[in-house]
Amino acid sequence: MKKLFSSRHILQASICAFLIFAVLLPIISMLTQITGDGLNEVFTSPQFSSAVVNSVTTGLTATVISLTLAMLAAWCMERISMKLKAIFSVLFIVPMLLPSISHAFGLVSLLGTNGLITNLLGMSGGIYGFWGIVAGAVLYSFPVAFLMFSSILRYEDALPYEAAKVLGIPGKRQFLDITLPYLKKTIISAFFSVFTMIITDYGIPLMIGGKVTTLSVLMYNKAVAMIDYDAGSIIGAILLVPAVIAFFVDLLNPENAQNSFVSKPIEPAKKRSLEVLGYVFCAVVSLCILAPIASFLIMVFETKYPIDPTFTLYHIEKTINRGADGYLLNSLLYSVLVAVFGTLVAFVCAYLTTRMQGRFGKVLHLFSITSMAIPGIVLGLSYLLFFNGTPIYGTIWIIVLVNSIHFFASPYLMMRNTLEKMNPNLEAVGQSLGVGRLHIIWDVILPKVKLTVFEMLVYFFVNSMMTISAVSFLAPPAPKPLALMINQFEAQRLMESAAFVSLVIFFANILVKVVMQLIRKFSADEE
Amino acid sequence: MDNFVKNRLEIRNLSKGYDGKEVLQRVDFDVKDGEFLSILGPSGCGKTTLLRILIGLMEADTGTITKDGKDITKAPPDQRSMGIVFQNYALFENMTVLRNVEYALRIHGKSKKEARAIAQEMVEIVGLKEHLNKMPRQLSGGQQQRVAIARTLALNPDIVLFDEPMSALDALTRMSMRAELKQLQKRFGMTMIYVTHDQEEAFALSDRIMVMEKGGISQLDTPEAICAAPANDYVRSFVLDTLQSKIDSLRRFADEQKA
Repeated sequence: MKKLFSSRHILQASICAFLIFAVLLPIISMLTQITGDGLNEVFTSPQFSSAVVNSVTTGLTATVISLTLAMLAAWCMERISMKLKAIFSVLFIVPMLLPSISHAFGLVSLLGTNGLITNLLGMSGGIYGFWGIVAGAVLYSFPVAFLMFSSILRYEDALPYEAAKVLGIPGKRQFLDITLPYLKKTIISAFFSVFTMIITDYGIPLMIGGKVTTLSVLMYNKAVAMIDYDAGSIIGAILLVPAVIAFFVDLLNPENAQNSFVSKPIEPAKKRSLEVLGYVFCAVVSLCILAPIASFLIMVFETKYPIDPTFTLYHIEKTINRGADGYLLNSLLYSVLVAVFGTLVAFVCAYLTTRMQGRFGKVLHLFSITSMAIPGIVLGLSYLLFFNGTPIYGTIWIIVLVNSIHFFASPYLMMRNTLEKMNPNLEAVGQSLGVGRLHIIWDVILPKVKLTVFEMLVYFFVNSMMTISAVSFLAPPAPKPLALMINQFEAQRLMESAAFVSLVIFFANILVKVVMQLIRKFSADEE
Repeated sequence: MDNFVKNRLEIRNLSKGYDGKEVLQRVDFDVKDGEFLSILGPSGCGKTTLLRILIGLMEADTGTITKDGKDITKAPPDQRSMGIVFQNYALFENMTVLRNVEYALRIHGKSKKEARAIAQEMVEIVGLKEHLNKMPRQLSGGQQQRVAIARTLALNPDIVLFDEPMSALDALTRMSMRAELKQLQKRFGMTMIYVTHDQEEAFALSDRIMVMEKGGISQLDTPEAICAAPANDYVRSFVLDTLQSKIDSLRRFADEQKA
């Protein structure tokens, strides 16, 4: 027993030390960068106040639109009897496989100064600015809200509605008294996470914002372009505020998890008029999602749209000559390393918080989900300030570390959910049979959770392929990942190359997702 | 009672508290060799905590546990020669019935052939011969619990502990499992300690019953003696009145059937 306890303590201590060095200390080092003079300077600048206004107005507008569309889409999928549902629900989450900056770039390529649609219709190309940011942010955040809403709707129980029907309660009251209270918590938590996601992203406003500068772009400009870390830290601290609020809202809303048990699922309505409306709505949304990707394909494979629509590989060749293949290799390497390292740490954390009793587990859990509240650009600047001068700075490992932390919370929660559902006595049985904890983990638990492990690997991989937030502060000097090239190519007016890079990331992610789907299907067949 | 010569286990002054609450209060008792002892009490009386301390999954704050004259208070679970069967089976879901039973034997260094032979015998004893190569999820609750029992017996422990092993089973399965459990105990001559909140079960199975309340022992005696002389009002109401009401309702039912 003595030995077991000590190995357990070593594990707990090392995880704690890891999280302190990888999360707590970097954030502190950013916060301590803030000085009174700096605060004064930032707060009194007109740039700053207009950035606050821009961030809040674009953020709120985009959040409201995104949530409305996502709720309607989720409603179509879960409450209306429609064919093609499988296709639509895949299409609706496609934007999750593109970097945020690609969404804005897609809009620019369609509706910008020289955009496909602009040229086609002879318009002026006025997408830049407020509405450009809003449109990009809606595309970027729609899948997240859609997933939240469709899963909550899917697990709603039909029994309260049947009871209401028996009691003669009219439809409107049913909606107000049953549906809304049921959805309330999810709507609130979706609102906060989408709003936070939008205002902490700098890719979209940087690409399409034009003269409209948001807080995130201001922070990026200050810290990356002007190397003004003091101002960057102050804005970073401000960007931490909504994230922290979102985090606490989620924390205080623990019952947010949907019903674990549905006694009777709700039957989708079979009404012709509703179906038609549903098809029209879903088709329009799908079109908006697919149009930017189609425009990338046209730009990459046509010689010169619309003058010369012949097929060509010239743009790809040109992009590769500019070093894209090297950056792609960097990205693949990062993503594989982040997947392996992140999954390992997330598994250990989830195991410690679910299958070992004690107060330590609760603290570790809180600490683990805190990483969710830290925006990528804040994490990036924190790492820059904290690790500058250490041996890891400027190497691939700092990127691996920052991405593992940035995307840690979701995979951690996936594994936690899975482990919580397993019989709590497995290790105890093992001990009574003289089978140690590591044997039980290796022979009993891992085989049982391998699907979740794959999901975690995929999550880390896909997100590392796309991310531009934290890495923009740390690479260079560390080798540059591919996603950072989108902005660079666009700035050099190399639109075809930027489109190609977006497509490469997109298809790499699709490939990984398809492999995951095959694994899932294969293991379902095996059962 | 005279058949029980020596004490297998001697528990002295065992206490345990968490979060400022005393879950076990200076518990003292002996377990005789080869006996079937039930620990009976409502939820929260400390019976499961006691079981976990006995097998070494939990450490007591004070007190000692002596097994066959040896102090095992601080021994790890696998060095106590005790097995445990849980309420929710805790089977290894990714392994077949046979693999579940032979797994620990293999870890302990038995040859594949030897482990397989023992496992096969155990599975046969619990009546699952034709289910050897099935996965746990293909079995009924009662069958899964039998696998858990076979897995425990395969290591040939001196004492088997049961933590409410039948509470997840339906009434009919419970009845047949009771009889089987009794037979198993006779066959192996094993000491069994059985935690339950079901009065009927305790009376049907036990050589002796230990009635617990709020972390202490109210009475420890044979079922007959408890019936004849309940130690206090709690024992009378929790044990005897409950049984009586069951008997009454059965009798009423029988009368109605006759009429």
